[in-house]
Amino acid sequence: MIEVKHITKSLPDGKQILKGISFVAEKGDFIGILGPSGAGKTLTMRCLNGLTKPSSGHIYVNYENRIKDISKCRGRELREMRQKIGVIFQGFNLVKRLSVLDNVMIGRLGQINSLRSLFYGFTDSEAKEALQALENVKIAHLAHRKVASLSGGEMQRVAIARAIFQNPVMLLADEPIANLDPSNAKKIMKLLKPLAQEMPVIGVFHQPKIASEYCNRIIAIKNGIVVYDGSPNLSEKKLEEIYGEEFNALEEATMTPTLAYS
Amino acid sequence: MTTLQRQKTLGKILSFIAFCILVYYAAKLCRVDYRIFKSGIFEGFQFIQELFPPDFGALGEMLYPAFETVLIALLATILGALISLLLAFGGAANLAPAWLKFVSRFIMVAERALPEIVIILLLVAALGLGAFPGVVALAIGCLGMLGRLFADAIEEVNPKTMEAVTSVGASKMQIIQYVVLPEVMPSLISNVLFRFEVNIRLSVLLGAVGAGGIGYEIFYSFQLLEYERASTAILVVLFLVFSSERLSDYLRKKILPTGKLK
Amino acid sequence: MTATIAKKHLPSEKLKKKVTCFSLFAIVLVALSVQLEFNPALFFTEGHHLINLLNEMLPPNINILWERHNIFASVQETIAMAFLGTIIGGLMALIVAFLAARNTSPSVIIRMFFRLFMSVERVIPKLVTILVFVIAMGLGPFAGMLTLTLSTIGMFGKLFADAIEEVDNEPVEAVYAIGANKWQAIRFSIIPQVIPSFIANFFYAFDVNLRAAIGLGIFGGGGIGFEIHMAMKMLRYSDALALILFTIVFIMLFEKISDHLRARILNKETLR
Repeated sequence: MIEVKHITKSLPDGKQILKGISFVAEKGDFIGILGPSGAGKTLTMRCLNGLTKPSSGHIYVNYENRIKDISKCRGRELREMRQKIGVIFQGFNLVKRLSVLDNVMIGRLGQINSLRSLFYGFTDSEAKEALQALENVKIAHLAHRKVASLSGGEMQRVAIARAIFQNPVMLLADEPIANLDPSNAKKIMKLLKPLAQEMPVIGVFHQPKIASEYCNRIIAIKNGIVVYDGSPNLSEKKLEEIYGEEFNALEEATMTPTLAYS
Repeated sequence: MTTLQRQKTLGKILSFIAFCILVYYAAKLCRVDYRIFKSGIFEGFQFIQELFPPDFGALGEMLYPAFETVLIALLATILGALISLLLAFGGAANLAPAWLKFVSRFIMVAERALPEIVIILLLVAALGLGAFPGVVALAIGCLGMLGRLFADAIEEVNPKTMEAVTSVGASKMQIIQYVVLPEVMPSLISNVLFRFEVNIRLSVLLGAVGAGGIGYEIFYSFQLLEYERASTAILVVLFLVFSSERLSDYLRKKILPTGKLK
Repeated sequence: MTATIAKKHLPSEKLKKKVTCFSLFAIVLVALSVQLEFNPALFFTEGHHLINLLNEMLPPNINILWERHNIFASVQETIAMAFLGTIIGGLMALIVAFLAARNTSPSVIIRMFFRLFMSVERVIPKLVTILVFVIAMGLGPFAGMLTLTLSTIGMFGKLFADAIEEVDNEPVEAVYAIGANKWQAIRFSIIPQVIPSFIANFFYAFDVNLRAAIGLGIFGGGGIGFEIHMAMKMLRYSDALALILFTIVFIMLFEKISDHLRARILNKETLR
């Protein structure tokens, strides 16, 4: 379970991007975060796993019957929290020159001692578990290929397998399908959906249609505040209200994936 | 012609005149003298005749010094590459704090401005003749070039990949081991191979001022006026340099299909 | 279910392989060190010699830089050697490059000859060249300059020739197509394409030659290298340190200047 309590974030120049975001996510939730560009969706995600510190507010993460505020954690404690949070990214962000299996095993790095990883590396049983994770996303046959030789859809599956392999208490997905073609995007969504049975899955999406189809809850953020939180069946009117001027461009966005490889 | 064009032409003429004056002045400083050149060329060719025939009887005596030269270059390249890598971690903006980056980069720049031959003069003065100062001088000599190339390569590692691995809770050492090193390895190895080639040449030169090896044989034979012996040593050096160049070219092409440096 | 991992991909097998490689590497390293009597412990046992040397060097006798007039002259000599070696060697390298590049060479024999000449030249160590030139021309910067000229031809002739061979062929064919002869094709389509790389390489050559000029000084080429060598030989260590520091500063300075000039000239070049 994760509870986000009134987080705010200001840039160094004083401009306030997040103006008090609050929501609670539980096991079984597959939340799609929507909103126009610049609304603060990605920044919210970065706060959730501690890559960015909010200026104020709390993010309580409940794991192993403990509750910790990730926005206050530092150093070793922060790394411990991050082990418990799986993240997948728009640009996949895999280590291109390592094999698929190695990339999946990297998900456990936070859980093993630095010295062990330096001298011993991973164990055979971990490798078998990683292969299992790859099987869950149906690409076990690619395990020993170099990541650089994979397609975008395959890379995103590796990233999901890496996140699953972490045994996380929640899964964050920052625009996971923005770089994929529509059919691959749907396949990725189909993989993410059942994961919500075990942990809250929170994703930022650019395509409200796909998000509504697969998520069971939508949170809309506009100008740094939550303007909608509820059922995935949003009316056209509501969408227009959320997206404002960008509404007309949306249709095209759902058709052509933005190729912002980075 | 417009005034602007006229100014440009004038500027060109002036820089050309300045250039000619510089060349004249430099020629005067170098004591360039056509008569000396003419008689010198003649003497030079006469002297080159004295180099022939090479004294192949001395070939046996040359084998060990040649071996020593290669060993010095090899050991210095290995040690220099390891030290350069450590220095490069300190000099890469994405791994090190600003002050450490400044210090490391300064060491690299200062080293690059210090010719290897000066380093060995200092070391020979302190430690006496032998392979030890030779290895140390060449290893230090690697820092400027390899350190900078490595640090630049490290800075080019995709920051998002590093962030992704940070988000699974990995420590800095693990990030270096699982992201940075795999990503920079090909450029690292290819630059080290190139440096090995450079070090073979330098090791010949340094030999003459006290590092031993084949360079010393050449210098010594010249001083004893045993030119035929010297030419045997020269032939051995030609062979060494040529084969090290071929070898490093071949290995580089194997590692990087394009065979390009940097 | 369960796909299995082939044995060679198991982490434990990889670890075994890694350990083997690492031990081999360590053994080679130790063997090399033993063979060369390279003992890192010497740094600590003989460290006091280094400290002694440092003690004798410090503080650097900065005064020597203006007390002795010939220091200033030697610096000029070193720079002049590098400058002239770069200019003359560079220009000759240009000519040689056009004769040795596949697409501009007048004949195969000439091309092979110059390619061979350059590769032989690149293999001959500078040590040998300077020794020969000193015997032929006498001690002094002239011999050093000639050495640099020759090495510039060998090294940059090849770079230039490769640059010429890499030019985009379409504009060249276009110029031929309008009835130009070989000279005109070179002048109007090859030269414009390779000029930026030539300029960049000229500056690079100067940087390389300036460093080499210091080394050559030690073997009789004169200049600041010779002064450093002399100071060390006569055990005037604090003078030597002053000279070395001065050398570092002026090489860094020249690098900055040449970076700046190159950027300026190349910028103008691309604007045209």
